[in-house]
Amino acid sequence: MRRKNFAIPVKLWVLACTIIGISLTSDTMLTCIFTVAGFVYLGFQQNWRLLFSMVIFYIILMGLLYFIRFHEFHPVVFSEFYVLMFWNLTPVFFVSWDLITTPPGEFSAFLSRVHTPTSVILGLLVIFRFFPTMKSELKCVWLSMRNRGLTAPIQIVRHPMASCEYVLVPLLLRCLQIADQLSVSAVARGAERPGKRGSYYGKKVGIYDYIWLVLWFIVTVVFFSIGGVCI
Amino acid sequence: MKTTQKWNIKDVITTVLLTVLLIVIQLIVNMVCMANDFVSMVLSVGITMILCAPVYFLMISRVRKHFVSLIYMIILGLVFLIMGNWYLLPYFFIVGIICEAILWKDGWNSKKKMIIAWSTASLLYNGVNLLPIWFFWDTYEAFALSSGMEQSYIDSFVHYYTSPGWLMFIILFTMLCGFLGSLIGGKLVNKHFKKAGVL
Repeated sequence: MRRKNFAIPVKLWVLACTIIGISLTSDTMLTCIFTVAGFVYLGFQQNWRLLFSMVIFYIILMGLLYFIRFHEFHPVVFSEFYVLMFWNLTPVFFVSWDLITTPPGEFSAFLSRVHTPTSVILGLLVIFRFFPTMKSELKCVWLSMRNRGLTAPIQIVRHPMASCEYVLVPLLLRCLQIADQLSVSAVARGAERPGKRGSYYGKKVGIYDYIWLVLWFIVTVVFFSIGGVCI
Repeated sequence: MKTTQKWNIKDVITTVLLTVLLIVIQLIVNMVCMANDFVSMVLSVGITMILCAPVYFLMISRVRKHFVSLIYMIILGLVFLIMGNWYLLPYFFIVGIICEAILWKDGWNSKKKMIIAWSTASLLYNGVNLLPIWFFWDTYEAFALSSGMEQSYIDSFVHYYTSPGWLMFIILFTMLCGFLGSLIGGKLVNKHFKKAGVL
């Protein structure tokens, strides 16, 4: 089933509410309210892949927290502190990821409509496209290193600084090339042209978008009224 | 040759791309270091600063404009804001202004100024760990207690940031790592990027 996307103002509103809620809450455990609401929000957009992975991640965190709090379990490899930190931040993670994976055309169309400066729009789009681009670049660097026999564990342990250099230098050179290509592409598409720009990707705010705007406001109010505010 | 100080699209894209790379490296190092409390609380900032220095040097040498450090610090502060630490946004804004002040007079042409800027940024990056403990102790303690930690464990956990000896060690170690990272960064930029003609 194809993924549906809420309008960008809704996604920004949801992210803002979640960040404010997480930052100002006095009861960290209650952030599960945002998480559950977030799962419904992802399900409504049919973003099943993200929903499935986040539900599994959250169940693991829940299990860890249960054993830490009620069975005095102290993990050997990381602190209990980080388990609660991830529990707390899970709704921010997936709401941000949902925004980041929105088609860039829709996002830039919205930002243009609200008169955002071109440099800010370009900056945000670069951030949003960073992860998939870097993933493929890192894969290429790793393959090149493997061809030259530089990925053997003994080689990495014996020469850690050299190994870092082998990864960092080609990656940085590729970043600079990508920056050049993107800027040429943006200029060729009229990014430096003054005046009003249009877009093919204009999306109207529908009835479900309004419903979710109101719903997230209600979730935030309920969250603060149950858990209280702490600055 | 004197370059214009007006930002163009290439500068924006380069700055944002390398800033995101810097932040991703910082977050990955922090995540990996979480495996051990000592490494996480004492060594992680230093390790981060060594690894990030070449990227910072490349960014400053490539863009050669004012406000590059400030934009990097603001984006870093925004990431911390998203993670619930709102007070780190104004903090990193101030750190960015300090770095800009150091680099103000053509700092991108002076290796010395870039080394001072990154060493200062390294020193001040400790605020990520120290600010919550110094100024938001009650919130921090409540958070730690609700995570299931015992009081004695919390005390030993924050021991590194409350005893003057450890604090001194962390600050000196981080600055030294920032300084070493800067020297490595400067060498890498000369060795690879200038030769490749991308600067």
